[in-house]
Amino acid sequence: MTSTPASAGSAPGAVMIEARGVEKWYPNGFHALRGVDLSVHQGEVVVIMGPSGSGKSTFIRTFNALEDFQKGSIWVDGMELTDDVRNIDAIRQEVGMVFQQFNLFPHLTVLENLTLAPVLVRKRSKAVVERQALELLERVGIAEQAHKHPGQLSGGQQQRVAIARSLCMEPRIMLFDEPTSALDPEMVQEVLEVMQELAREGMTMVVVTHEVRFARQVASRVVLMADGQVVEMAAPDQFFTNPRHERSRQFLRQIA
Amino acid sequence: MPPSSVSAVTPWWRNRRLIPGIVQAAVGLVVLVVVAFLVGNLVRNLTAAGLLLSWSWLGNPAGFDVSETLLPFDASLPYWRALLAGLVNTLRVVLLGLVGATLFGTAVGMASFSSNGLLKRLARIYVELIRNIPLLLQLVFWYFVVFLALPNGTSAIQLPGLVLAKSGLYLAWFSDLWHLQWQGPHLDGGVWHAPLRLTVEFGALLTGLVVYTAAFIAEVVRGGVASVPKGQWEAANSLGFNPLQTLQRIVLPQALRVIVPGLNSQYISLAKNSSLAVACGYADLYSVAETTLNQTGRAVEVVLVLLGSYLVIDLVISALMNGLNRMVQLKER
Amino acid sequence: MRTALPSSPLQRLRRELFSSPLDGLISIGLIGFLLAVAIALVKWALFQAQWAVLQANSTLFAVGRYPLEQQWRLWLLTTLLVGATGLSWGLLRGLPRLDRVDQLWPRNDRIAVAVVLALAVLAPLFLKLSLAIQLRWWLEAALLVATRWAAGRWALRIPPPARRLVPLIWPLLYFAGMVLISGGLGLIQVSPSEWGGLLLTLVESSFAILLCFPLGILLALGRRSELPLLRWSSVVYIEFIRGAPLITLLFLGQNILGFLLPGGLAPDRVWRAAWVLTFFAAAYVAEAVRAGLASLPKGQLEAARSLGLPLPQALIHVVLPQALRVALPATVGQFISLLQDTTLLSLIGLLDLLGTARTVMANPAFLGRNAEVYLVLALLFWCGCAALGLGSRALETRLNPTANPAR
Repeated sequence: MTSTPASAGSAPGAVMIEARGVEKWYPNGFHALRGVDLSVHQGEVVVIMGPSGSGKSTFIRTFNALEDFQKGSIWVDGMELTDDVRNIDAIRQEVGMVFQQFNLFPHLTVLENLTLAPVLVRKRSKAVVERQALELLERVGIAEQAHKHPGQLSGGQQQRVAIARSLCMEPRIMLFDEPTSALDPEMVQEVLEVMQELAREGMTMVVVTHEVRFARQVASRVVLMADGQVVEMAAPDQFFTNPRHERSRQFLRQIA
Repeated sequence: MPPSSVSAVTPWWRNRRLIPGIVQAAVGLVVLVVVAFLVGNLVRNLTAAGLLLSWSWLGNPAGFDVSETLLPFDASLPYWRALLAGLVNTLRVVLLGLVGATLFGTAVGMASFSSNGLLKRLARIYVELIRNIPLLLQLVFWYFVVFLALPNGTSAIQLPGLVLAKSGLYLAWFSDLWHLQWQGPHLDGGVWHAPLRLTVEFGALLTGLVVYTAAFIAEVVRGGVASVPKGQWEAANSLGFNPLQTLQRIVLPQALRVIVPGLNSQYISLAKNSSLAVACGYADLYSVAETTLNQTGRAVEVVLVLLGSYLVIDLVISALMNGLNRMVQLKER
Repeated sequence: MRTALPSSPLQRLRRELFSSPLDGLISIGLIGFLLAVAIALVKWALFQAQWAVLQANSTLFAVGRYPLEQQWRLWLLTTLLVGATGLSWGLLRGLPRLDRVDQLWPRNDRIAVAVVLALAVLAPLFLKLSLAIQLRWWLEAALLVATRWAAGRWALRIPPPARRLVPLIWPLLYFAGMVLISGGLGLIQVSPSEWGGLLLTLVESSFAILLCFPLGILLALGRRSELPLLRWSSVVYIEFIRGAPLITLLFLGQNILGFLLPGGLAPDRVWRAAWVLTFFAAAYVAEAVRAGLASLPKGQLEAARSLGLPLPQALIHVVLPQALRVALPATVGQFISLLQDTTLLSLIGLLDLLGTARTVMANPAFLGRNAEVYLVLALLFWCGCAALGLGSRALETRLNPTANPAR
């Protein structure tokens, strides 16, 4: 593991996310993150697991400043996350995020969901973005639904649209916050397949999930968080067969 | 190592920890400037007109009469007594209006659940008719078209214990509370007399307010009852309750949790709407205040009295209804 | 459980009205009551009512004391409005949403056209307007139907960029209308004190409706803001306005506004009232919009922000369209109240519809003709408010993203 923060640029294996000693207190005084370190290299898929309330969602939400933090530092794609709003907007353009509840915009069609941000934020021409959006929808397998509204789609389809919506901004990093937790069991697989495909193409991904099979097959590294700290970080094989820490063994027993 | 140029000092207008403070300071400044501007003008203009805020005029004799007061009043009494008499008149119509509108509104609301199709539709038509016609128009209608067209003398509408004439509403009541002497309305030299007389102005205002507010209360009641899941009716039926028992014991206690907050806002609108009394010649607080302004020119003080009084009435209604609300919500467990 | 009975109208009538002895008794009582009322009303309308009060004062009720030689401006404005209405209506039907199948002439539209045509013929006849003016109303109605038909027929031929400009007609028309009504730009000034009747009611209510809406949105956003100062100033404003009866605020506007502004800056009485109505309604609209904002999951704003949209764009493109759709029924409800509240202007001496009625009543020639005037006014307001309510429901269906899924 490297301990040097990323330098700008993106040579293979460059550090895309570097978090050092991140600490966060909620306004009610709850100490949610207690000095978390993590580096994510280009093309890596890092899966974060842990019991609920362990701070894993809070942690990845600090990467695109949906949550602020009080101590420590975070670099994303060579930019330090500061209090500069311009800097925050720039980072958000490079980091896509997929939520547990999909959070598609129900008043827009599927296609409009995809084109909204690229046109408004990246100032790209609508025609070009629409063509690209249709290609993306094709890739996630729902091109024929482009003119429907999200409410007319199943949960699995909605989550695939949400992934396509993030990809349409051409991000360099994708964050997934429990992307399959709100889905009916029979729809989990179709979403995981899209994510697996994305990983194969070399996208840098940080995934908070409870899907052990996905972690085993796709993850470069598995991180276990508990009580706002990283307990264990290991390659998936080692993590699932021979974890070093008692806390990890306990967690694996619980989800087994 | 991180390139040092990226983490260069953030300018203050782009710092997300400072932006909230900046925005608030800007808003605060604008509000402050506007308020200072208005108050400055007010003080300057009032000084020029010799009307700087003062309350001593409240003690001067009013010089006008207030019709039908509960408290004794005549033109020689001071302004504050006139305003107080108006306030009491407002409270009188509001209190009676609340009771009437609640009873009538509940009846109409429940009628929309009747098994009788005609009654159900009539309740719906009533609500749609009343809600889409301005209250003020309804008030002048009741006053000029209905109440002022009532006949007088022997041709007045006579019911047992109640006479409706152009000169007022005459009700039977105890003429002597000590000896419990009951007395009905009686005709004396072509003029009706009764222990209890209400003016047609009051009658028109009360009728208008009750009929109008009842339409809104009916909707609140209907919505409340409809919010109780159908399974509750079915469960009660299967336990052998009859429909009335079901309504009383099972449905209403649950519906009240939705109804009471809705009633609160309807009660407050009724209180505020009572200020339209001036349209049918009833001397409520607003109408007395208007006369007071015309005589004294004390615009600011009169408006402050008006706003303050209605605010207090609103707050009292809200406090009472919140108390009721707590009772209703607690019953749940 | 009883399943739905095969029902002829007669059977249905029996089930609805006479399902039990008590129901039968109630039904008979109600039918008797309704019949009595209907007969009395018809008798009154045909034999007792004297409609001369409306026929003689129809201009006063329509436009007040608007100078006769300038009334062509109002006719021009009416014509423009009618044309724009027909155009928008036709385009709305001619361009259904991509995911919907829509009819060009649904049943409601055919009914609406029939009602408009009937009104255009019957109302002027009833008011005994001169033939020249009757003719004008017929032409206006014909124009409405013609533009509606043409716009629906050729909607798809209009190139998309031009279609997007159509909604802009309305704000333009509003400013044009204001100029036509009040003068300026080469037209003779007509002082607001000469406006009256329906004209004044419409000017005041449309002005207040248009302005209170954005103001209400700002107040609602302020009330839900995380910044304490913004939140508290919005709360104080909203609760202050909602705690006071409108008449006391109108009273404040007429008597104190002059003191609050430097000499000469205070607007005249008509505009003072319009501003008070605006600020009054804004507080109520704010509460409606706030409920809409509260109904939105937090994730919507987060998703928009995570895509890199700055806060203003996230609000405009993601949060507000959804919140306003939820708030639509309540907001239109406030607009309806606002239209009704314009009658209060008569209490501060302005000559809106009700104010005009009161002055007409004071004329000895029409003494005691209250019932005729007030009933017609009631009918007018009822139709206006009911139409707003219907329009709101139609808009709701059109904006609902999931209703009536395609095919």
